[in-house]
Amino acid sequence: MTSATTVAPTASSPAVTARRGESPRRRGRGGERVVQWLFIAPAVVYIALFFGYPIVQNTLMSFQDYTTKTFFTGEAPWVGFANYATVIGSSLFSTTLINTGLFTVGSIIGQFVVGIALALFFRKKFPLNGVLRSLLLVPWLLPLIASSAVWKWMLDQDSGVINQSLQVLHLTAKGVPWLNDPNVALIAVIMVNIWLGIPFNVTILYSGLQDIPQELYEAGSLDGATGWKSFRYITWPNLRPVVSVVLVLGVVYTLKVLDIILGLTGGGPANSTETLATNAYHLSFVDFTFGAGAAVSNILIIISLLFSFIYLRVNRRAVDE
Amino acid sequence: MKTSRIRQIPNTVLGIVFLAIMLFPVYWMINTSLQSNGGAVNSTFFPYNPSFAGYAQALHDQSGNLLTSLIVSLGSVVLSLIIAAPAAYALAKFKLRWISIVLIALLIAQMIPGIVIANALYTAYNNLGLLNNIPGLILADASTSIPFAILILRAFMGSIPPSLIEAARVDGASHFRAFVSIVIPISRNSIITAGLFGFLFTWSDFIFALTLTTGGSVTPVTLGIYTYISSSVQNWAPVMATAVLSSIPAIVLLIVAQKYIAAGALGGAVK
Amino acid sequence: MRKSTIAVAIAASVALAAAMTGCSSGSSSSGAAKALTVEDYYSQPNAGTFDKIYQACGKSIGVTVKSTHVPGAGLIAKVLQQSSSKTLPDVLMLDNPDVQQIASSGALSPLSNYGITGKGFAPGVLSAGTYKGDLYGLAPAVNSIALFYNTDILKAAGITPPKTWAELKTDASALTKGKQYGFAFSGINTYEGTWQFLPFMWTNGGDEKNIDTPQTAEALQLLTSMVQDGSTSKSVVNWAQSDVLNQFTAGKAAMMINGPWQFPVLAKFPNLHWATAPIPGKNATDVPVAPLGGETFNVPNTGNKANMSLAGKLVACITNDKNMVTEAKIGGYVPSKISIAAQVAASDPQIASFATIVKTARARTGELGAGWPAAATKIYTAEQLALTGKLSPAAALKQAQNG
Repeated sequence: MTSATTVAPTASSPAVTARRGESPRRRGRGGERVVQWLFIAPAVVYIALFFGYPIVQNTLMSFQDYTTKTFFTGEAPWVGFANYATVIGSSLFSTTLINTGLFTVGSIIGQFVVGIALALFFRKKFPLNGVLRSLLLVPWLLPLIASSAVWKWMLDQDSGVINQSLQVLHLTAKGVPWLNDPNVALIAVIMVNIWLGIPFNVTILYSGLQDIPQELYEAGSLDGATGWKSFRYITWPNLRPVVSVVLVLGVVYTLKVLDIILGLTGGGPANSTETLATNAYHLSFVDFTFGAGAAVSNILIIISLLFSFIYLRVNRRAVDE
Repeated sequence: MKTSRIRQIPNTVLGIVFLAIMLFPVYWMINTSLQSNGGAVNSTFFPYNPSFAGYAQALHDQSGNLLTSLIVSLGSVVLSLIIAAPAAYALAKFKLRWISIVLIALLIAQMIPGIVIANALYTAYNNLGLLNNIPGLILADASTSIPFAILILRAFMGSIPPSLIEAARVDGASHFRAFVSIVIPISRNSIITAGLFGFLFTWSDFIFALTLTTGGSVTPVTLGIYTYISSSVQNWAPVMATAVLSSIPAIVLLIVAQKYIAAGALGGAVK
Repeated sequence: MRKSTIAVAIAASVALAAAMTGCSSGSSSSGAAKALTVEDYYSQPNAGTFDKIYQACGKSIGVTVKSTHVPGAGLIAKVLQQSSSKTLPDVLMLDNPDVQQIASSGALSPLSNYGITGKGFAPGVLSAGTYKGDLYGLAPAVNSIALFYNTDILKAAGITPPKTWAELKTDASALTKGKQYGFAFSGINTYEGTWQFLPFMWTNGGDEKNIDTPQTAEALQLLTSMVQDGSTSKSVVNWAQSDVLNQFTAGKAAMMINGPWQFPVLAKFPNLHWATAPIPGKNATDVPVAPLGGETFNVPNTGNKANMSLAGKLVACITNDKNMVTEAKIGGYVPSKISIAAQVAASDPQIASFATIVKTARARTGELGAGWPAAATKIYTAEQLALTGKLSPAAALKQAQNG
């Protein structure tokens, strides 16, 4: 959280100027401030305990040999960068990194493309538009693990409905090995994640589209900007800030995904769907090597924070515009 | 007027087709949950002979877990609102020096992967005896809902006219009184939104359920489903029945509180 | 300084949490207790039988026994948690490959302290419970895996159970028809996948110290080729042993690798006729080496000397000649003492084929001890790489061996 200080001065300047305009009530000003801080104190304490502490503790653990033995003896010797060396040196690391990249990029592109297409579609006026749009939210609201369960069943190679249908249509003879073949499993998992992300993308992008003033289109149509041209010159530029927010948030949320992968494949087969997040889980909670798990978690945090800062900047720019 | 409506019908049909594709898994979940004679073999496209045996089995195995989830979710909603509402008010209305840092911390907090928090909390909870413990889960689950609730509530509270609060303050009300008697009633809708989402977040939580319990005594329903599907599935009906039961809160909320849901989706993203 | 404030704050929230639950965590009693706690991972109906044995044994040494049954997957996590909070039970059941790892953490006490020597037990059983020369855990009954076959299907095809790898391969291929596969096994990316691969690997002279050998590659090649020629489902990489059983009971597999703990499940299918045979080696003359399965009973270091000595007596009773027969019967296990196993095998033909296997069975932790889990992970990783066709068996083993 070191870089927070670099952002702070600029961001807090409006607050400073506003305070100058306040009527000076000298007496009780200090007490006043204490009361004001009391409002925010519980949240600050909570954030420190449940976000600050884990980050610090995770960093410490990543430099310790924290294993099953530690639980009995309470000893976790310092090992420097040994955990990082082991984790990065293993042949699994490049696999998980590539999987994480493919999973994230694939999910984001799929969600966004379908999302914006549906958002544009729903901007048209037609009966039942509102009802359909709100029903579309259902996949987003279901517990992820419940969705994983039904997808696991639908994608079953021998008896799942997807392969059964494909076989009836003579599109495949033996059924697609959705979750059994390492070359297909990641694609299947990405598909499910796209399905999950579409509602969120549609909702945000739709509201972004609604915020574009109708007059712009009216003025545009006078200049001959209709159809594709109106999208290219009016919709897209005006939607850009919302698009940036959707994309960056999508990346950060996708990096975190654990439920779907554990539910569908458990990271297999042959580690073909193992990502940084599932790898951290396996190291810590299956192998009980918390030090190595913490090292992978930290690598994941660094990647997430990188995108968080992009998000903050994009967000600030979006607000400024 | 009438002709234009007719001309719009193809779009409605197209929209229904899109929706049918998107909701097919939900249909399949319900469909399978009613076919309990199939075993690990095929389900038919329609439950011709609906059987509730899957639900009977699901309730037998999972009713305790559903109750656990309900208690944890309600607890987490209460905790997050108690912490988030005053903080959101302070962030929206008070001119404090470090406030922007708190805001940035909140935004970053939303980005931190749950596995990171779980990894560190496990060892801490282990030492503190909070594993397999409902309050422990409530505290951990609030980590998804608190930042979200603060951001949503702050956005709304920022739009409360200062004159309303000033009036109460001039009458001699303390900050706290003004907050309870003016701000909270006005913010009712956004508090409901934050509460609903807090409930859904906790209800769907999987990662803390998976990592902060060690089996047996405290099992949220998401973990119950995972235990079903991570071992072999001999009969999908009870699994799907549990999935349907675990989806009820989401569906109910979507029906009774539709406007809050859309508001929440937007509020969470564009602060 | 920051750390201490955090600690205070956590302590405060814990106090709150404790107040909310009414402080449910139990505390261990001090001094010589009249009550002992036992923790295992059995589920009903087996748990009920074990409870009866615990009670009877408790009665014979003058204590009451309170037992907890934890779900299997959560047991080690639970033990770790109890290790650090010093709330380990007086008697702990562990799956045998976990004993050495837990013993190496210092959480268990040597059984010789309580006069338990394991005399008459099969050598594999003792090796599984021994860490650095001391016996820490004793399994009253053990099991292994074998080849199960559907007698109706084999008879109709005129096939007798395979005795060599070549026969296994041709039989599996001949038995594959329509939706029915010839052979099924568990190749999942967990220890279950490793466990089912071991008989092939060990019987062929492979070894867990280094899996990058021609012997192990040959064993992996056998399974891989059956997946590739379609006589085994490609789904085996996601099948746990219970999934394999489902395929078998649904008639979708003519032969499978599985264990005697499935006997009670198989009994629920009266129309399914089946029998077992040893897992074939490459040549009919190869001596089968199967992995040893089963749960050991251990006495954790709780620090309460009086309780630990009573716990030792309880373990001695749970593993005595009479109880091991009862325990073996309910789970399709074989008694761990060779002499007793022979008596039981004489009266139960289904157990008989397992009784011979168990005599030569090998403990997974026999060679590597606490290092076994790492080796087991390498084995299933290689298996997955080869079965899914990502790498050739030899290349998969090489990559997994080198991490």
